Amino acid sequence: MDKNQACYLCQGCGLGEALNFEKLQEVVEEAGIGEVKTHEQLCSPEGVAFIQGDVDGGVNAILLGACSCRVKTNEFDFGPEVIVERASLREQAVYPSEAEYEGEEEAGEDRQMLAEDYLRMSAVKLAKSDVPVPFQLEEAPETSVMVVGGGVAGINAALAAAKAGVDVFLVEKEDALGGFLGKMAKLAPENPPYQELEDTHLEALVAEIEGNDKIKVYTGNTVTETKGAPGNFDVTLSGGESFRCGAIVQATGWLPYEPEKLAEELAYGSNDAIITNVDMEAKAKAGDLGGIGSVAFIQCAGSRDQNHLPYCSAVCCTVSLKQAMLVKEANPEAAVYVIYKDIRTPGQSEEVYREAQRKGVVFIRRGEDYPKISESGGKLAIETADVTLNDTVEIDELDLVVLATGMKPNNPRVVEPPLVALGMDQEAAKKVAAEAKAACDDWSVLNLKYRQGPNLPTLKYAYPDSHFICFPYETRRTGIYAAGTVRRPMRVTAAVEDATGAALKAIQATKAAAGGFAVHPRSGDMSFPEFAMQRCTQCKRCTEECPFGAINEDEKANPLPNPTRCRRCGVCMGACPERIISFKNYSVDMIGSMIKSIEVPEEDEEKPRVVVLVCENDALPAIDMAARAGHKWSPYIRFIPVRCLGSINLVWIADALSSGIDGVMLFGCRRGDDYQCHFIKGSELANVRMSKISETLDRLVLESDRVRVEEISFGEVDKVPQIIAEFMETIEEVGPNPYKGF
Amino acid sequence: MVMATKAYDKSFREEVYKNVDSGEDVKLCMQCGVCGITCPLRDKMTHGPRQIWSLIRAGKRDEVMDSPDIMLCTSCYTCKVRCPRGVKVIDIMHGLAHYALEQGIVPRAETAKFGKVFWDSIYKTGRVDETEVPMRYTLTAGPIHGLFNTLEMMDIGRALLSHKRMKFKLGPGIPPSKKIKGIKGLKKMLDKAQAMSPGKEG
Repeated sequence: MDKNQACYLCQGCGLGEALNFEKLQEVVEEAGIGEVKTHEQLCSPEGVAFIQGDVDGGVNAILLGACSCRVKTNEFDFGPEVIVERASLREQAVYPSEAEYEGEEEAGEDRQMLAEDYLRMSAVKLAKSDVPVPFQLEEAPETSVMVVGGGVAGINAALAAAKAGVDVFLVEKEDALGGFLGKMAKLAPENPPYQELEDTHLEALVAEIEGNDKIKVYTGNTVTETKGAPGNFDVTLSGGESFRCGAIVQATGWLPYEPEKLAEELAYGSNDAIITNVDMEAKAKAGDLGGIGSVAFIQCAGSRDQNHLPYCSAVCCTVSLKQAMLVKEANPEAAVYVIYKDIRTPGQSEEVYREAQRKGVVFIRRGEDYPKISESGGKLAIETADVTLNDTVEIDELDLVVLATGMKPNNPRVVEPPLVALGMDQEAAKKVAAEAKAACDDWSVLNLKYRQGPNLPTLKYAYPDSHFICFPYETRRTGIYAAGTVRRPMRVTAAVEDATGAALKAIQATKAAAGGFAVHPRSGDMSFPEFAMQRCTQCKRCTEECPFGAINEDEKANPLPNPTRCRRCGVCMGACPERIISFKNYSVDMIGSMIKSIEVPEEDEEKPRVVVLVCENDALPAIDMAARAGHKWSPYIRFIPVRCLGSINLVWIADALSSGIDGVMLFGCRRGDDYQCHFIKGSELANVRMSKISETLDRLVLESDRVRVEEISFGEVDKVPQIIAEFMETIEEVGPNPYKGF
Repeated sequence: MVMATKAYDKSFREEVYKNVDSGEDVKLCMQCGVCGITCPLRDKMTHGPRQIWSLIRAGKRDEVMDSPDIMLCTSCYTCKVRCPRGVKVIDIMHGLAHYALEQGIVPRAETAKFGKVFWDSIYKTGRVDETEVPMRYTLTAGPIHGLFNTLEMMDIGRALLSHKRMKFKLGPGIPPSKKIKGIKGLKKMLDKAQAMSPGKEG
């Protein structure tokens, strides 16, 4: 595009007093932007009109020297055709250096240099940016949604999507819809006052599905193949039918934890009167509870147990309470015991607990050890610790013992080789990869034809979710959303809510595919990675490292990108050793040039320079908030926002160090099991790559202390100045970079 | 403390639910332990309230009925106020004590005796006479013990007298305590209340 550039500098928020604007103007002009204007408050209606006037006159590339790019976004939006690049003079230059400035000439000088550097960097970025052209699928994108699983979540997802006006394909492997809902006698109270057991209302739901002409139901079918990408997934079913859909909701529900594994602990299988809560539900549905004179429920049977399911399924307590109430309803004289570790009744189910107590159910807290179940005189007896009595107690004459077993996701487990394998030698890496492969389940729900495998990547316990708090329903395959108990254990009400959420996400994904923009977390981003294929060496690193499986490959291992699967994190760009991957407004060359545009003072000036590559998702807001909260830090720091730490190409670090910058810090989200990385493994990848940076540093004969990766979360604002101060101290100890002045 | 292992038995809890004041509340306890931890007398108790409830549910009749703990309550009401389940802890405690006494079990003799003296004073005169009640209570242990106990407390007595915090009496009923106005009405009310207590109706 032909760029008509202009720069606007804001003097509001104290910037006018803190900086020498004449000098700033000169710097911008030197950087190649002819038109530089100053205004006393750009975000005011007059200020916006001031810029808009020029935009109307033909300006289409704007450099704003004002506040952070995270604020005043509406004011400074001049339409999709106008590039706006914002130098954060307020949060990154003026606010954090205020205290030192008071009355001190030298500190004022440092601050001026800081602001000038930011303007230089932004000018470079602006010069190298282009307006993104949204990606368009070759064939018309589909808006329909496929829902896999016809249980409570699947049914509700289908209904929600149909109500929103899209066509739905509902695939269920059984011959009838309903899933576990069809096997339930009653629901635990779901509505105020949470005391009455409720009907499942399954018939009404199924009738609603059948009466909806937007929903096409395929019972007795499984998915044998899913090809393509959001906007055009081509699906083949086991019944031989095939169709094309825009997005997918996986609501395949849960599997009961295998009680056979509890044979040793809870004598399962030794007596027909020892049953699971699923069996109990069937008994209740058959109306077979009247004859029970006494029953004991054993909670956490194989749950919250490192040898079985280490997690809490969050439903078994309520289920046992419900079943206890059903027994009491059938026979008020029945003696009902619940032997528990902790009663966990999330949300309003506490009322269910109360109601069960009122009905006279007796609760015994057992502690960690499993009760001993034995047979005596044709009945069952239990010996258990009673924590409140600090004693061992016995319950005998039991007709039935119900084991409250937990939920497992009905989804194949995928174990990925740890990322450290990237740094290992071939043999060791192969071994690790083989081990990971062996730990994977070899069945599939969706049978994806993705280069990265047929299944959704899973978290520890085979749940395909990527982060259930920050990005609910999002799996690591764009356009495929998990809902209901396949995402995490939950009750019916929560599953209904989940289904609606996932259905809306799926619809959103189809819209994004059609419009050529990204889904969460870079929602609306029109840019996408472009590959300069003639220089590709088929190293496969982009296909391996993409967290979302966006890149397939052909027989010769050339990458075949699927832009509608892409989330625009830039991890491929960070991975590529040949640096052939770039976005219209984000590239290796762009950031590299920004780094090189920083003015590095001579060694004898004793003014070190440190570049901090900041993740835009968590670290940048934290820095902004820290600045606004009045925290101060060194004026020798230069922040450069990046899309994700995973998008950092090692060449930038070499660029920085070889141009005399004294240190480089990577500032991003938390990694590990409780990761907060918006692109799942970006910060993990960055860390692994940095562990290998020593090679580069050795080549440059530099100390490895000069490069550091730091993790921060959104809430840790106070840690920002602390981390910076610590790093500056290290840099001071290491001494100036010997490459200065070359 | 280890008790003899005995199978859970539902008869005693049914008995308590039916016969003890607010006994059904025992069902509602979720064993959080707030009652025990707030009780000012917790150091004196072998079993705090929640353990008593557990024992009731477990059917350990003797442990509960013989336990002095059920007669230690001073009615400070902290537990009842703090119970998240709204269990009427105090009412049950007094109810249990009352029920035990009715069954001819005396879990804690001192409390039983003091209660009797206290009750008699109210029933007869409509008030708690500060001289009469301690005198009568101390004599429940016999005349000789009573005399020694009185001598021991002489200093306090003298100080109370000199500050007019207590009236002088030669002995219990000498001179007799003053009755309140309308003592007959009060007696009627108390009689009726007693007749209405749990386990008595019908």
